[in-house]
Amino acid sequence: MREKKDPRATYGEALLAVAEKNDRVLAISADSSSGSGMTPFRNRFPGRHIEFGIMEQGILGFASGLATVGWIPFVAAIAPFVTARPFEMFRNDLGYMKQNVKIVGRNAGLTYSDLGATHQSLDDVAILRTIPGLVVVCPGDPVEIRLAVEAAAAHEGPLYLRIGAPPIPVLHAPDVPFQLGKGITVMDGSDVTIISTGTALWRAFDACVMLHKKGISARLVSMHTLKPLDRDLVCDAARGTGAIVTVEEHYLIGGLGSAVAEVIACEPCPAARLAMIGVGDQFASNGPYDELLGLYGLRAEQIVQKVEAFLRSPAEDALAARASKGSR
Amino acid sequence: MTGLSSDETARLRDAALQMRQNIVRMVRAGGGGHAGGALSCTDIVASLYFSVLRVDPANPLWPGRDRLILSAGHKCMALYAALAQRGFFDEKLLETYGSLNSRLPGHPVMSKIPGVEANTGALGHGLSIAGGIAMGLKLRGLTAKVYVIMGDGELAEGSNWEAAAAASHHTLDNLVVFVDRNGLQISGETRGVMNYEPIAQRWTAFGWSARQIDGHDFSQIIEAARQTPFETGKPSVVIATTIKSKGLSFAEGRMEYHYWKPKADELSRAERDLGMAADDSKRRK
Repeated sequence: MREKKDPRATYGEALLAVAEKNDRVLAISADSSSGSGMTPFRNRFPGRHIEFGIMEQGILGFASGLATVGWIPFVAAIAPFVTARPFEMFRNDLGYMKQNVKIVGRNAGLTYSDLGATHQSLDDVAILRTIPGLVVVCPGDPVEIRLAVEAAAAHEGPLYLRIGAPPIPVLHAPDVPFQLGKGITVMDGSDVTIISTGTALWRAFDACVMLHKKGISARLVSMHTLKPLDRDLVCDAARGTGAIVTVEEHYLIGGLGSAVAEVIACEPCPAARLAMIGVGDQFASNGPYDELLGLYGLRAEQIVQKVEAFLRSPAEDALAARASKGSR
Repeated sequence: MTGLSSDETARLRDAALQMRQNIVRMVRAGGGGHAGGALSCTDIVASLYFSVLRVDPANPLWPGRDRLILSAGHKCMALYAALAQRGFFDEKLLETYGSLNSRLPGHPVMSKIPGVEANTGALGHGLSIAGGIAMGLKLRGLTAKVYVIMGDGELAEGSNWEAAAAASHHTLDNLVVFVDRNGLQISGETRGVMNYEPIAQRWTAFGWSARQIDGHDFSQIIEAARQTPFETGKPSVVIATTIKSKGLSFAEGRMEYHYWKPKADELSRAERDLGMAADDSKRRK
């Protein structure tokens, strides 16, 4: 069995470790501290843990003000309540003011599966990607979460960190090279590239393993930073495999798939075919997490089927697409 | 009566008059602007910048400075005038108001001009930001104060009341709000659009210490500001009754001058009202 860890606990441990070294780091709670793994921080640094209660609009403004005076606030709460709800505060008080504030959206994607669409977060990346200068990070395993928290504290400026809730397996070595804005090639391959991110990464990983067993050489990229996007790595995938499948626990509108499409649709990126796996234009349903993922094709075996079908789809179409792009 | 000397009163009256003149110059340069609210809060802003705030124009980011957050960011012409007259930047820059890429946009931007402490404009943001600054100063052991200017129409924004509750819960007695209660907003009288009365009781119910003053009386403004915190451990709010478009005879107390786009002879009437030289526009160019 692979080692699995709770992403919220992992975040909390990483934040505590960062705070031990940097006395400007604050933990900010909207009645959300214990659910965000910040109890160890509160116990260790009670004076640097600030509780606000359930006021997610005001809390972003307070974080902005705290940053103005030199503090580095980490605000962690349920993802939709610190993204969609206070979007204008995010945009103006953090983005427009270029404040050194880190917002952590937990239970992102479908991970609040049983609580329904009010608590799921399938649009956070889409709306936040529009904020100039914001860094959007979706770490995909416990190692990436720890390294992302370290990178977030070191980065000067606003940053959004998106994590889930159910335990996720460790995929990387503890010292995997990690840099904001640079994706990680987890597995090499030449037939197709699967680009995945965040909560969806480990199922994409399992799908790649299965594809290799079936004789399909699938490359796997962990695109942990969705903004700024690693355009070079996307173009490398286009050049090297000619086919890309994106896998994300997010709406197809505006998320990882859209971001990748924005790159490969434009010169000078080489032509490539693209398929996207994610949630379509609907409010998602509710139920057990794994079964809910199954409704939207996000389980590993479904990813395998989708990739196989994609690679089998008419070659003429693909050739025509390449020819028309190549002739420009 | 307070101990405000006649010299200081005269100095503030001159500074405020100059600010109003500069606001008219900005409206002339830009072809329009949110003059109504800028003119109603002018005496408050003048009192703060010329008698109260510990700021250093030569070192605008001095960590120990007092801060002023203009939550009602559309009143920015008052802020720009005060900052220029206080020496944060050259007054000639005021003439760029409304031009392409001007450093003085219709709502203030901190990266564009020294002395601006927050990018306001969307209402209901300033109090939270100011609360965070006040909290951050206390955490660092600094004694500076944070002043906020809010509009009365702005009080309808729910986010303000999140901030008000948090400020009292966290005992931010270094936070001082001036409500520029000019009684008017775009659609009419503030009480009629969305009634905020009883305004002082609303704040005190949220744990603030409140005082009501005449927002055009320098003695009352200065006395209130200097006596903050009104109660130790509580944030303070000064509800300042003002007149919208104060100083312009044809516009005072009239809702249609919320955003003033001068018609016909209005600019010259404004110049006469404020004792500006007849050739002011030529002289300035």
